[in-house]
Amino acid sequence: MLSRSKLLFPSIARNIRCISKSATNLSDNLFVHRDTPEDNPNIPFEFDEENKRRIKAILNNYPEGHKRGAMIPLLDLAQRQVGWLPISAMHKVAEVLGLPNMRVYEVATFYTMFLRKPTGTYHVQVCTTTPCWLKGSDEILDACKRKLGIGVGETTKDMKFTISEVECLGACVNAPMIAVNDDYYEDLSVKDTEEILDSLAKGQQPKAGPRNGRFASEPAAGLTSLTTEPPGPGFGVQSGL
Amino acid sequence: MLRVPLTRAICLTHSSRVLVTASARLQSNIPAKAPEKVEVFIDDQPVMVAPGTTVLQAAAQIGVEIPRFCYHERLAVAGNCRMCLVEVEKSPKPVAACAMPVMKGWRIKTNSEMTRKAREGVMEFLLANHPLDCPICDQGGECDLQDQAMVFGSDRSRFTDIDHAGKRAVEDKDIGPLVKTIMTRCIHCTRCIRFASEIAGVDDFGTTGRGNEMQVGTYVEKLFLTELSGNVIDLCPVGALTNKPYSFSARPWEVRKIDSIDVLDALGSNIVVSTRTGEVLRILPRENEDINEEWLSDKSRFACDGLKRQRLITPMLRKPNGELEAVEWETALIGVAQAVQNAGDKVAAVAGSLVDAEQLIAVKDLLNRLGSELLCTEQKFPTADGTSGTDFRSNYLLNSSIAACEEADLVLLVGTNPRYEAPLLNTRLRKGYVHKEQDIALIGPKVDLSYRYEHLGNSSSIVQDIASGKHPFAQRLKSAKRPLVIVGANALSRSDGKAFLAGLHSFANQLTPEDKNWKVWNVLQTNASQVAALDMGYKAGVEEIVAAGPKVLFLLGADGGAINKDNIPKDCFVVYLGHHGDNGAPLAHAILPGAAYTEKQATYVNTEGRAQQTLVAITPPGMARDDWKIIRALSEVIGTSLPYDNLDEIRDRLEDVAPHLVRYGRLEENNFYAQAAQLAKLQASSLQGDIDVKQRTLADFFMTDSISRASPTMAKCVQAVKKAQATA
Amino acid sequence: MMAGMLRRLPKSVVSLKWYQNSVSAYSSDALKQKEAPIVDNSVILDDKEMKEREKLTHLVNLPKEKTLASINGVPEEHVKDRRVRIFIPAKNAMQSGTNNLNTWRIEFDNRERWENPLMGWSSSADPLSNMSGVVEFNTKEEAINHCEKNGWKWLVSSEERKKKERVKNYGVNFSWDKRTRVSTK
Repeated sequence: MLSRSKLLFPSIARNIRCISKSATNLSDNLFVHRDTPEDNPNIPFEFDEENKRRIKAILNNYPEGHKRGAMIPLLDLAQRQVGWLPISAMHKVAEVLGLPNMRVYEVATFYTMFLRKPTGTYHVQVCTTTPCWLKGSDEILDACKRKLGIGVGETTKDMKFTISEVECLGACVNAPMIAVNDDYYEDLSVKDTEEILDSLAKGQQPKAGPRNGRFASEPAAGLTSLTTEPPGPGFGVQSGL
Repeated sequence: MLRVPLTRAICLTHSSRVLVTASARLQSNIPAKAPEKVEVFIDDQPVMVAPGTTVLQAAAQIGVEIPRFCYHERLAVAGNCRMCLVEVEKSPKPVAACAMPVMKGWRIKTNSEMTRKAREGVMEFLLANHPLDCPICDQGGECDLQDQAMVFGSDRSRFTDIDHAGKRAVEDKDIGPLVKTIMTRCIHCTRCIRFASEIAGVDDFGTTGRGNEMQVGTYVEKLFLTELSGNVIDLCPVGALTNKPYSFSARPWEVRKIDSIDVLDALGSNIVVSTRTGEVLRILPRENEDINEEWLSDKSRFACDGLKRQRLITPMLRKPNGELEAVEWETALIGVAQAVQNAGDKVAAVAGSLVDAEQLIAVKDLLNRLGSELLCTEQKFPTADGTSGTDFRSNYLLNSSIAACEEADLVLLVGTNPRYEAPLLNTRLRKGYVHKEQDIALIGPKVDLSYRYEHLGNSSSIVQDIASGKHPFAQRLKSAKRPLVIVGANALSRSDGKAFLAGLHSFANQLTPEDKNWKVWNVLQTNASQVAALDMGYKAGVEEIVAAGPKVLFLLGADGGAINKDNIPKDCFVVYLGHHGDNGAPLAHAILPGAAYTEKQATYVNTEGRAQQTLVAITPPGMARDDWKIIRALSEVIGTSLPYDNLDEIRDRLEDVAPHLVRYGRLEENNFYAQAAQLAKLQASSLQGDIDVKQRTLADFFMTDSISRASPTMAKCVQAVKKAQATA
Repeated sequence: MMAGMLRRLPKSVVSLKWYQNSVSAYSSDALKQKEAPIVDNSVILDDKEMKEREKLTHLVNLPKEKTLASINGVPEEHVKDRRVRIFIPAKNAMQSGTNNLNTWRIEFDNRERWENPLMGWSSSADPLSNMSGVVEFNTKEEAINHCEKNGWKWLVSSEERKKKERVKNYGVNFSWDKRTRVSTK
């Protein structure tokens, strides 16, 4: 009887639902602004002369009436000038573009690479997405934490280093990797990481790129194809031609 | 209006003719030929729509309602809630009906399996993070999410919080004393954001963050300070933004709703009054395309708690020792009647800003019978020797109508701050500015109008220059296709208001707009009673009364301060007839408690000359009575009974005086522009000094009349605005 | 159980056939069927009775009064002084639904309510107040008719306003007009 009813009402069997719950994992960033001594609208912000020239050039790229398109480049300029993006810099960008402040807040909070809280000179971004993780990014992250004595999302007291855990930065072939500001340090071991952090702490600029002797993203154990000289013109052409 | 059917029929045909000409006129403004219509099928029903119509609008044309959260017909299309997904035949995916323009021959299925499934899915996503706090939510019972979950949602939940991790939660924002926020309930429809930025012109709201953590808010701590903030409560489809003063006070099914008219500004916005147990709980806007669209200003919406405070609930007489003593109606009426009888014809009346037409006519009839013509309104309007500026209606009305203000291409505002004097007229101007390339210029103090305008200066000599054609702006007005000159009533109430009227009105008449019927000359009144009073022949301004030195003076809710202790004779017996113990009442020797606008069926004429009536939402408190009935009773005690005993009879009398006063909801055509201007010209005089407006900033907006002055909510608003201004 | 029902089905089909046959036979012969003759009694009735009969064949003339007010027993104060507003309900600004806005309603003038000392509820001496906004009419004429029948003064207050046609377009959000570009979208 039961089997027959199942045949008769196959839809019931189909409609058995699985249990799920909503994702409540939250970001470590706050999406509202809180006035702090380091970050409040009363701290003046002004673009330096060089950046003012850049702003002019950037604004020229956008047609009249669509100058707001320059918002992300301008925010980036501000962030590069300060090292992070204080609220007064956002207000300045709004002023330059003639927009309400809210429109700038919206953009600045949307992109995770706009750092809205005080960040160290060196922003150490450790990739922990699957390929890097498989290649040992956990150890790299631990090394960073140990070396700098801070946790993820924290900044050293001297305002030099900030550690962030980030998602894939697109250097999977050179996993594991960290990015410090604009530079990628790839194919890392724990020792390499410590070296890099040491020289950064001394104020040196370690060479960016792979650390295991590779030039770029070529195969680690030598070329597996294209190993012979390329054949010259006329290769493989019928002899009669 | 309770007429015999025949007169109604006559009225109807007459005014419908007017309407036809009006609509023909509007059409003539659109030069382009209407494009060919396309046929689409909604649930197999054919419908012809203009190309570019969205699927949702096409469905609405044949009465098929597609569920929506983010779409609002008066706001820009956002397309982010996805509730309006429908199936279109041959389309592999459901389409968002609110944003998708129809194509010829489309077959749209609003009730197919795919559509239903799409809606159920969207609903499930929305509810996954929506708190289940309907029992304590103020929106409960009038919540779009509730309604649509009932109809389109799934009958079971897949949300099982086995870790008790809770749903997504967002902290509440403090955006002011009017709007309460419970941001966890927000479903991110962005209606409030679009309202603030498009209609109110205050870009304070936005979305911050992204993905699961996106939140609607102000990012920085900031009050949402605008004269239209209450409208986001209506717009919010869930209970994220609710009415703070009304919170936890009633459920929508408990309240009685009465359609009425707002009188706190001169626009006559249509409202719905919600009452329970003889108490006005809240006021909501009622859709009227010609006046307030769907919005309401904060004063009109939130000042209703002023109806419960400082009320006059019993008649009072001043004792010889100077104290006011509560007495019975009989005693009070006899006391007043004696004073009136002793005064002979030295009786006068001043009408305040909230007086209705019935009361005005009753007082006028009474005083005329006593042999007095001393009937004035508090607010001045230029008059001259022998003739009056108020002889022609077109002189003191917003002639072009409120709705037409958005059609203009060049607007000159003189001595007015429409943002606070008439917020919903200002939204029209802003609409014209944003969507129709309207240019606006202002003569008067520099104020924030929520849109950009050309500030011509605040010296009144500019007015003279424009009137004489010397000013460059005069040329622009002359070349404009649909120019408007809007003059504030307060500018005209200056001592040299005559010159304003004369100069600008005759200048306005010289302009030759493209459309012959386009009216250039407009006066923005600020008092709800002013137009009706002037229609009835009340004189504007109290000079005449002050000069005459009456023995008995009736103050009809006159709280504006035009009459004070010093400008009336010491022995003048002052009778205050009104509903609030405001500025006028302390002067009084006798107080007759009247009804506020929510407590009487009364006629008001708005600034464009449209008569509308309020309805009784609650009965007047205590011993207070309908104002015209008090006058009627008093007339009997005096011995000159007025010839009307009920509302119909007094409205018949109103019709005798001015027929338009009882043609409710209709706009009467005005005429005699040339004559009015001619008359005004004779009285031209010179202008001096700067132009000022009474309401410059938001803090000046909230408390302007006896009701809003009695309102604790309005007091809180003023406080909040002042605090915000101090810190900014 | 299901199967059992299916087994029984043929039988009922048979019986149905029988029923159909009988019905069709009956209906096709209906015209031919002989009926009882109509007996003309007039020949056998006496004059007096004939007159009575004749009286009955006339239409009954009821008094031409249009209102029911005089006979329905409603107290005069709820007939004479009541004014009724006939209207189409306005859209609730708080909700987007429009299904309730298609019918005409009637609403009585509001009379005094007071707080009941027993429970704090709202009391009223007005039996008609609960009809306000509840009774629906398809047309305003129906509503007017109803009011006139009951002897109430009426007033039609909603005009059928035509909805303004609006062009709604997602693309407008990105239009080249510099004024609209300031906003969110």
